[in-house]
Amino acid sequence: MFARIWHSDAFWMFRRSPAAIVAALCAALILCGAIFAPWIAQSNPYDLSSFSLMDGFLPPAWEDGGSSRFWLGTDDQGRDMISSILYGARLSMLIGIVAMIIATVLGVGLGLAAGYYGGRFDAIVMRIADVQLALPAILTALLIDGIARGVLPSSMLENLRVVVLTIAIALSLWVNFARTARASVFVEKNKEYVQAAMIMGQRPFRVMMWHILPNIMGPLLVIMTVDLASAILLEATLSFLGIGLPADSPSLGTLIRIGMGFLLSGEWWILWVPTLFLVILVVSINILGDFLRDAFNPRLH
Amino acid sequence: MVYLILKRLLQSFFVMLAVAFLAFSLFRFVGDPVSQMTGVETSVEDRERLRDELGLNDPFIFQFARFTGDLVQGDFGFSYRTREPVGEMIAKRLPATLELGTFALVISLVVGIPAGIYTALRPRGFVSQSILLVTLVGVSIPTFVIGIILIFLFGVQLAWLPTFGRNGTVDLGGWSTSFLTLDGWRSLILPAMTLGVYQLTLTMRLVRAQMMEVLRSDYIRFATARGVPYRQLYFKHALANTMVPVITIIGLQFGGVVAFSIVTESVFQWPGMGLLFLESIRFVDIPVMGVYLVVIAFFFVIVNLVVDMLYVAIDPRLRVKEAA
Amino acid sequence: MKIRTNLRLSVATTLLLIASQTASAESFRWASNTDPQTMDPHAVNSAPVLSFLNNVYEGLVRRGRDMSIEGSLAESWEPLEGENGWRFNLRRGVTFHDGSAFDAADVKFSYERASSEAADVRSWFAPVAEFRVVDDFTVEFVTTAPNPLFPDSIANFMILDSDWAEANDAALPARDAENHATRNTNGTGPFMVSDRDPGVSTTLTPYDGWWDTVEHNVTEATFTPIGNASTGLAALLSGEIDFIQPIPLQDVGQVEGRDGFQVLEGLETRVIMFGFGHEHDSLLFSSDVDGANPFTDPRVRLAVAHAIDVDTIDRVVMRGKIEPVNQLVPEGISGYSEANAGRPEYNPDRARELLTEAGYPNGFSFGLKCTNDRYINDESLCRAAAGMLAAVGLNAELTTMPVRNYWEQLRADDFDMYLLGWSPGTFDAEHPIRFLLHSQDDEKKLGSWNFGNYSNARVDELLPAIQQEIDPAARQALIDEVVEITQRDVAYVPMYTQPLIWASKDNVDLTQRADNFFLLRWVTVN
Repeated sequence: MFARIWHSDAFWMFRRSPAAIVAALCAALILCGAIFAPWIAQSNPYDLSSFSLMDGFLPPAWEDGGSSRFWLGTDDQGRDMISSILYGARLSMLIGIVAMIIATVLGVGLGLAAGYYGGRFDAIVMRIADVQLALPAILTALLIDGIARGVLPSSMLENLRVVVLTIAIALSLWVNFARTARASVFVEKNKEYVQAAMIMGQRPFRVMMWHILPNIMGPLLVIMTVDLASAILLEATLSFLGIGLPADSPSLGTLIRIGMGFLLSGEWWILWVPTLFLVILVVSINILGDFLRDAFNPRLH
Repeated sequence: MVYLILKRLLQSFFVMLAVAFLAFSLFRFVGDPVSQMTGVETSVEDRERLRDELGLNDPFIFQFARFTGDLVQGDFGFSYRTREPVGEMIAKRLPATLELGTFALVISLVVGIPAGIYTALRPRGFVSQSILLVTLVGVSIPTFVIGIILIFLFGVQLAWLPTFGRNGTVDLGGWSTSFLTLDGWRSLILPAMTLGVYQLTLTMRLVRAQMMEVLRSDYIRFATARGVPYRQLYFKHALANTMVPVITIIGLQFGGVVAFSIVTESVFQWPGMGLLFLESIRFVDIPVMGVYLVVIAFFFVIVNLVVDMLYVAIDPRLRVKEAA
Repeated sequence: MKIRTNLRLSVATTLLLIASQTASAESFRWASNTDPQTMDPHAVNSAPVLSFLNNVYEGLVRRGRDMSIEGSLAESWEPLEGENGWRFNLRRGVTFHDGSAFDAADVKFSYERASSEAADVRSWFAPVAEFRVVDDFTVEFVTTAPNPLFPDSIANFMILDSDWAEANDAALPARDAENHATRNTNGTGPFMVSDRDPGVSTTLTPYDGWWDTVEHNVTEATFTPIGNASTGLAALLSGEIDFIQPIPLQDVGQVEGRDGFQVLEGLETRVIMFGFGHEHDSLLFSSDVDGANPFTDPRVRLAVAHAIDVDTIDRVVMRGKIEPVNQLVPEGISGYSEANAGRPEYNPDRARELLTEAGYPNGFSFGLKCTNDRYINDESLCRAAAGMLAAVGLNAELTTMPVRNYWEQLRADDFDMYLLGWSPGTFDAEHPIRFLLHSQDDEKKLGSWNFGNYSNARVDELLPAIQQEIDPAARQALIDEVVEITQRDVAYVPMYTQPLIWASKDNVDLTQRADNFFLLRWVTVN
């Protein structure tokens, strides 16, 4: 099994790409850190009793006044930066990945179907897409948040803010997939092999899945990577505008938003540590995405 | 073709109605306008009276019908906050957003397309790798952080460019433009760069991906084999074939530009529609939010229509199909 | 007898600085985070509007640098004889910006305008039974009951020109569509609005015909709202603006550390406190208490007070800039109760004991609502307080939200405990008693911000007595009693007054008034 992976083309290419290896290592480390945050972080930023205001604003260990207990310092509440970031990455990646998956499934599904069937179905889907596009992500987030607030009691809503935000982000991303998928279907549909498959009476679902989808994997993978990164950044932006997550669920975006207040105050680590971390995470994802696109492209082999 | 346009316009009308409906239904969740309109000492009774006067106690569907009814008649209503006519407010802010968005888009295309082509043609070169890395980092920093960094670098430390606002505008018959004065350009640079970075990366990556795809396709290989000169090969055959998705993306990007301009405008205190919208959220200024959304929807509908028309123009196969 | 309220606010600081190099600029540019939404002085009762318009319009009385009441369009005033109310003797020779003369007809017109249903400031005139013009330069306000503080309460009641307003169809404040007075002004104040682009910029120029002695040297002043705090600070540091109010607490060091800039610090009169759902039968947001509301027990509320360490909040969250308080008004406000100046000390052990006595030895969980864009570092404060409460077993489910959603939730009683900041609009201790301590009474318009409906019959009884008592000592005794009762009941947990932090270039002299109003007439650009 291992041997098969080891000798596969993709892995062969992977071994030859230092950038991809570094990116994969970074992403894997962050992912592990995120998954195992509750076991490796020294304090839990959700648990008010696990940190103390007395430890607030400690700089990183190598600076004057830093403490070896908090290697990257503490924030205004006395929370250990490393722990906050691990938990933050956990939340951000969860939101990003789930939102990206929802957006992909929804967008590709609708886009393929719209392109394949055309006509009225196409028109309806594309007009829905227009509506979606006309509502910038920020507004979608406000809308979903608003609907949730109207439907759910406020005590429940607080626990569902992550879900609400995820859905909002997913909804603001699916159109990219749909339009790309649809545009490609238009092109692919008229090609002989698809026509042949259709004439041979293959079921539409099969035609789309087996003939059209693989041919648009390239652009889709690009969008998926860009969108995973976008989803994570979008969460940060929404939190910056004050319509994301509350301060007591520290995603990376919330940490950066809190840190923005300390941009000039001298407590640089509160902003730059999570920002740097976010940048490393997003850059790694993007590099990996580029690599995957090349690796899975049959024409490259 | 005329039939197609008419059909799309009719559909567009329903799109806008849907946007208006969605937009309007979210307003009652944004907050309570009356609390934002009155002072601390205003009595409960006076607040209730104001609520009545604004029609906020009417059933939702009545409010929506009144809003769209007025809208269709060209009556955009008055802002709760400043009592100004909303149409006038939006019209005054529109040039700022459009000029910012256009300039940002131009930056992203002028830099993004050549960079995308270059990195596709020399994928392993040092320059290509550097460009890719720089844009990757650029796109990985949240827009608001980039904006603040630019402000502090070029506005405060180097003091080359203004830190906020839109100076040096010239009024051209109701359209205030930044393009005619040096001050205007100076104010425009930082926000447009902030807004353009993300779009630039997206454009570049897309052009690159598409170009590489096309370059590997059989007909390019045949052309290479036939000895078609490289220049002609790349810029005529290959580029033409990358344009379909690129046009889609430009269309889509205009959406991105408008969405992200909300953030950029807020960071740079750029007096555009996005800033107006954020303020109206803060003060629960329902008429302003409503009209803003409908205007944006109108915008998108037009852009999408143009994009779809271009598809047909570029890809002859689609033209045949639509005619049939 | 002439009553002048003595406000010993040591907090209004005037910073005088040595002149720096060039005197190029008398053109003055300043920024704040909110645009005054209207230029109509009666349309909205909000601080950004009233603060800004105090440069343009004037009232019968005005507040000086130290918040004391002094004559403005009225030269003097005295209580009416034989009935309740006040007579104001108007200043002669005052002209409006358009040159027309000021007299009693303008006051009458403005009174009618400001007390109309279309005006948001009409609550100021609730005690007025009748308004009389005695002659061209004498007017009388008859009040329903003795009202010693009436002149203080109308310091922001601004007078506009009756002919101008009527000629421009602005006889009433705009209710739906804007009217002429929404964007144009015609006051008697030291500055005229020469250009206004709502939300973008407003330009003021000095009025040559102003009646008072000119102390400023500003030839033109431009105001820009800058919503983003970092952008505002950058604009100051890059020299594009001369002054900004406020700046974030954490950036004080950055501004002070740079040559050519200064920070003005003072204390606002706003008291930050926690309130409780006194009336609820059960907690709304608890995972472990059902069918009971521990906060109805004063011991539990006292435990909250003992559990919160204001000194640590001061040091860490507020950078040593706040002043702890013990009642709903800070020291220095008239009516402050010296007799009740003690506050519950930080004592988590005592808090646990109190909880045990109240039957909650292991504490309980509850919902705490806070704003995140209303008061200085409000979100951090609440997170810090929640941590302190957790240490004694009070597990707060903290929810923070923008203020636009906040009041709505509080009015809907959707809280167990909540954050509130209160600034006494009249600069008198009666103000919070009227709004926060009196039982909710829509008919009498009392207790309208008493969200948790703290109710004590004796307090309700004392309020009218305080409002009508003319003898200062007797009045203070009544206020002392209210403070004593409400401290004993722990109706609220008052924590501190928050700081006012402004920043400017160091060649600017200006006055920071304790109500956070910024007045151009005290600005000198050196």
